[in-house]
Amino acid sequence: MFIGTEKLTHTYMPGTPFATKALHDISFNFKQGDFALIIGPSGSGKSTLIQHLNGLLKPTSGQVVFEGKNISSDKQELLRLRKRIGMVFQMPEEQFFSETVFDEVAFAPRNQGFDDNEVENKVIEALKKSGLDPDELRMRHPFQLSAGQKRLVAIAAVLSLNPEVLILDEPTVALDTAYRKNLFDLLTGLNHKEGLTIIISTHHLDEAAALANRVLVLKQGELAMFGPAAEVFGRREELYNLGLALPPVTEIMHGLAEKGMPVKTSVYTLQEARQAINEVKRRDRS
Amino acid sequence: MAAQPSTIIEAKDVDFYYPGGEDADSSALSGINLTVKQGEYLALVGPNGSGKTTFLKLLNALLIPTHGQVLVKGISTEVESTLPEVRRACGMIFQNPDNQLVATTVEEDIAFGLENLALPPEEIRNRVFKTATLLGLEKLLRQPPHLLSGGEKQRVAIAGVLVMEPECILMDEPTAMLDPAGRCDVLNTVRELNRNRNIAVIHVTHFPEEAAGANRVVVLNEGKLAADGAPVEVMTDLQFLHGLGLQGTTAVELAALLRQDSFPLPPQILYNRELVDSLCSLGQKS
Repeated sequence: MFIGTEKLTHTYMPGTPFATKALHDISFNFKQGDFALIIGPSGSGKSTLIQHLNGLLKPTSGQVVFEGKNISSDKQELLRLRKRIGMVFQMPEEQFFSETVFDEVAFAPRNQGFDDNEVENKVIEALKKSGLDPDELRMRHPFQLSAGQKRLVAIAAVLSLNPEVLILDEPTVALDTAYRKNLFDLLTGLNHKEGLTIIISTHHLDEAAALANRVLVLKQGELAMFGPAAEVFGRREELYNLGLALPPVTEIMHGLAEKGMPVKTSVYTLQEARQAINEVKRRDRS
Repeated sequence: MAAQPSTIIEAKDVDFYYPGGEDADSSALSGINLTVKQGEYLALVGPNGSGKTTFLKLLNALLIPTHGQVLVKGISTEVESTLPEVRRACGMIFQNPDNQLVATTVEEDIAFGLENLALPPEEIRNRVFKTATLLGLEKLLRQPPHLLSGGEKQRVAIAGVLVMEPECILMDEPTAMLDPAGRCDVLNTVRELNRNRNIAVIHVTHFPEEAAGANRVVVLNEGKLAADGAPVEVMTDLQFLHGLGLQGTTAVELAALLRQDSFPLPPQILYNRELVDSLCSLGQKS
């Protein structure tokens, strides 16, 4: 098992009147190099689950496993673990606190005790990996950047430690179409070229559906589905009943199929949809 | 004879500069003229950084125009003594509900505005309960807001505005953090308030599907008004939208690709259903 959980249960504020069971008996595993999605309606436990994966939360019972080993609660080991499993929170730019982009990205490497030269190298590399121009941006104030650039700086700040797993909680919230596409292109590149394992928690499948190879679905803190993307997305009715929606383009294909057009429905991008519809037309003619 | 819908908001020659950026190039907004009438549902779209949020803040006097004037129900937002009336009439829903929730329980949070009006406790309790029920929050009234999911928090924020019975609701990407079911809930609720109680809505969104559901779409680009029209005019003009880095609805985008492949589709396709129906009727003709 590369990264996953075994019988993970988490209760917030146990033993108080506010005790809330957020996760119950969750077991799954993602493989190295996966582009994985954790989806589920609001309040289903997505954020709680991913915060376990780099040890920010501890299971009430059960285990979190990384590279076949139980994540221990030893402080030193947790610090090492968090270097290898990077976490980008929702709206991460709201946590910016430095005067320059450079300092923002340098925070983690400095904390890890690298010397100035190494820090500089790591910052520049991380900015480049995030699709940003270090020379143009390093001395800028983070708040002067565009919304899309801010989000990328936040990702660079996590990439600065060269993690092997990148976890992102709703990474495209409040970004426009162009920035969303840009961000997903970046993540795809990191996944394909660098072999970075990517785990995204989201309930917005529009862009993510086409990229994911493995999907975990949560429902009220329980594992509702887990498997290859094609298999999970094939269970449209169940997803719909959970309050989840496939991308609009997939819905169009289902709409056509329901009206009797013999069209493929496992379609997640405009280009795939275009091909599938043209395919039907060609078959009609021949 | 039906009365003309009255004007709720009027922006006259509005320029806005953030402090420190007085030169003409750095205006966040320039030369904005816009009138919003009672009962209108206006979608405000534009790329990140185009001035949408700034404009929204000008409409309930969180910001005051550098030049020009904003009138809410005829009251200028510059006049300090009438600010409470301006802000009651134009309630704001922010992108991130965490920035908006102040109290220790959901009930107190929704009641916050009413308590400031010094209404009798019984009246407050009734109005809070009615609003909470409308938004499906009645079971959460005793919960602390910070323990709710993102979607639930946003509905609490909306309840806090709705309970003040505003004439206009300003929403800054209110569904960005909601799951599809939550999105649907909130949009339906807001649409209902718009239709049944004639509350005007100004809805900033990055989702073309949401903009298509409004009855008027206003596009901002680089601080200027770039378009103002019905969804079927604005959201189908792909040359214009793509030029700004925006997109049409999925149906508009797919229809455009299929027209390139010489599918004779009508020009005003905006919604999924229209595309599905058109494609199916083509199939029957051939």
